[in-house]
Amino acid sequence: MVAAQAGDQRAYDRLLRAILPFLRAVVRRRIAHAAEAEDAVQDALLTLHQLRASYEPGRPLRPWLAAIAERRAVDRLRRHGRRQGRETPIDEFGETLAAPMANEGEARVAAAELRAAVADLPPAQRTALALAKLQDLPLAEASARSGMSVGALKVATHRAVKALRKRLGAEE
Amino acid sequence: MRSEELIGRLAADLRPVRPMPPPALQALQWLLLALLVIGCAVAVYGLRHDIHDRMAIMWDVGQFLASVATGIAAAFAAALLARPDRPGAWALLPVGPLLLWLAALGWGTFADVHRIGPEAMAMDTSWGCLKFILGTGTPLTVALLLLLRHAGPVRPLPVLLLGGLASASLASAGLSLFHHLDAMLMVLIWHGSAVAVLVVLAWALGARLLLQVPRQG
Repeated sequence: MVAAQAGDQRAYDRLLRAILPFLRAVVRRRIAHAAEAEDAVQDALLTLHQLRASYEPGRPLRPWLAAIAERRAVDRLRRHGRRQGRETPIDEFGETLAAPMANEGEARVAAAELRAAVADLPPAQRTALALAKLQDLPLAEASARSGMSVGALKVATHRAVKALRKRLGAEE
Repeated sequence: MRSEELIGRLAADLRPVRPMPPPALQALQWLLLALLVIGCAVAVYGLRHDIHDRMAIMWDVGQFLASVATGIAAAFAAALLARPDRPGAWALLPVGPLLLWLAALGWGTFADVHRIGPEAMAMDTSWGCLKFILGTGTPLTVALLLLLRHAGPVRPLPVLLLGGLASASLASAGLSLFHHLDAMLMVLIWHGSAVAVLVVLAWALGARLLLQVPRQG
């Protein structure tokens, strides 16, 4: 820290990396939420950077760091508490319309899109998908009903699923 | 941004700083300034004509010494508390002298009643007291808070209160060297309320003088 006060950037970088686990431990004693705790750790890093002239060479560094980290953790908790007091979670109001069907619009649109996508598949793939996946028949029976070989059925189903994924944006 | 990234930025942004002097030395620096300012004010107004008589009264000397002790203790406590690693218990340092001061003023009032009778309870307005304590105490508070501005991101509140108390009690001690107030009750009320006003002002407005908590931007 003394080297950092003198402006040694590499020593400062090493020091901050070395104390990071300690800062995290101090903050995590107060804040359980991981992202919130990491924000408090970063607040503590900024504060100790700002106050680095107030560290007295020769005194132990840990109490100085711990007091700063503790302070920023308490700040975060207080701000969090204030926010929670003002905000109302909106999940409970997800259903905004009184008619039961009215709130299922998204699901209906998705279903319609899926039907359209299936309808656009080549006939062989569509048949394979219907028998092997939708009706969940064993491959031998699906083969008997469709007149396609088991191997061809497998390939067609695979291609159908891949095509659907790609079209509905699920690929990757 | 990840914390490791922030560390990289802070290290790249590092400028050399001069380590602050130890808190006791900071307190002494400020006490010298206070001595100078209040000494000048007393020199301008001149010592009160009855200073020798008053100094013979035990409660007067007691309240004077206790107010000086309160100021010194509050200044040291403020300088120590401004450092993150010093224990918060230092805030109690001026409590003893402060109680002694109030006790001396209180007992002085009783002694006055005993000595000069009900006249000691006569109330007068003494805006001069308020003006002097605020007039010299405010710049001293500002100077102390600027000296201890590093308290802002860590322990602002006790430092603000102690800074106001240190300045006001020393100003009050200076005031009692030249201002003519016979009855202790008057001293208690006017000095006491001036000290209270300055402490409240420091608490309400002083935070602007301190460093602010850094925010990620």
